[in-house]
Amino acid sequence: MKRFHRYVLLMLLPLASTTPVYSHHSFSAVYDGSKQTTVAGVVTQFRFVNPHAMMSLEAKDASGKIEKWIVEFDGRLNLSNFGWTAESIKSGEHVTVTGNPSHTESNRIFFIKLVHADGTTLVRGALQRNSDIEEDRRQRARERDQQK
Amino acid sequence: MKRRSIFLALVLLAWMTPARSQSGFAKLEGMWSDPPSTVVGSFCFFSCTDTGIEQLNKLLDDPANDSLPANELIGRAKVFEGAYIKGLLTQEALKHYPLDPLKDPGYTRCEPWGLARQMFAPHQLEIRQRGKDRVELLYGEWTARRTVYMDGRKIPAGTKPSRLGYSVGRWDGDTLVVETSGVAANIFGVAADATLHSAELRTVERFARSADGKTLMLTATLEDAATFRQPLVLKKIWGWAPDQKIAAYDSCELPAESKTGGKR
Repeated sequence: MKRFHRYVLLMLLPLASTTPVYSHHSFSAVYDGSKQTTVAGVVTQFRFVNPHAMMSLEAKDASGKIEKWIVEFDGRLNLSNFGWTAESIKSGEHVTVTGNPSHTESNRIFFIKLVHADGTTLVRGALQRNSDIEEDRRQRARERDQQK
Repeated sequence: MKRRSIFLALVLLAWMTPARSQSGFAKLEGMWSDPPSTVVGSFCFFSCTDTGIEQLNKLLDDPANDSLPANELIGRAKVFEGAYIKGLLTQEALKHYPLDPLKDPGYTRCEPWGLARQMFAPHQLEIRQRGKDRVELLYGEWTARRTVYMDGRKIPAGTKPSRLGYSVGRWDGDTLVVETSGVAANIFGVAADATLHSAELRTVERFARSADGKTLMLTATLEDAATFRQPLVLKKIWGWAPDQKIAAYDSCELPAESKTGGKR
């Protein structure tokens, strides 16, 4: 595995799948939902498109060499439902982005969370739904326990 | 007098039948979108089966699973459901199963989906009446538009297969029943459970609104002897979303970043 510059933090953490069943293609065929990678760099392009939005990022590796990263998002249609626009991420801005790494390509992740330079964040819409889903699940468990 | 009574009864019946249809349409008309953020809603975000829901409920009912994230249980139930669906596939369909996602023209060439996926497309579904004898189904995904003929016509024999097929509909009480054939061979399923279906695909969709009005349930029966060993029944849930609008699907770009060779 490559070593990265201090601005490129690689973390491999257990992560439950964030509802990849929503994707247009098989998430698990392309990405590893059990791991997370975080990379910091400068956005060179954000394409707010269907079927999946794409972002290109340049980050320095351990030797200071510029490496190109690809970040894949949910589709424009889905992101729009959560208030995203083409201006949600701007070319030239410095961001720190976390995602699931690709099985097959280095320097490619599927978006989970992005932190702008001013500290504001963007998170995957599915994550916003997750807290509601967990609450529904807890409610079901309470009802189940009350019936005993 | 007797003739007059029979005549009045027939007039009344003729009046009541469209009235009941209008009532059904009034219940379905409008904008629907993502399902409620519940465990089952999430499970049926794209499509689901009764077998899968039953397995999900078993997992949820087991206190030993209370420490696991809901998405973990949803994922396990989806694996179970995938095995169930795979068991219904013919040898021919299994030759293409699971379909390489990076060979999906919807993903790699911005090619709109065929009926077998479009009917389960995530996000918006708008149901509109067009004139007295047509219903339109408008989808946010790909801005697909389906016309359902409600004038009692049959699907014309020899209909040239098209991406979304030829649909005729009727009311069964307040349930909209849509029958479709003339669908060109295309992809069935999503993600790791996708394969190919033939041009013999025939579907029956039943759209019904829940008693509380908050959700729309689709129960779709898919028949295709080349693909399924027996009819496959899939379900889907939408949530009532009157404030949403369908935006132009005008920004589809080829994922040039994608290379071939997704891990199987």
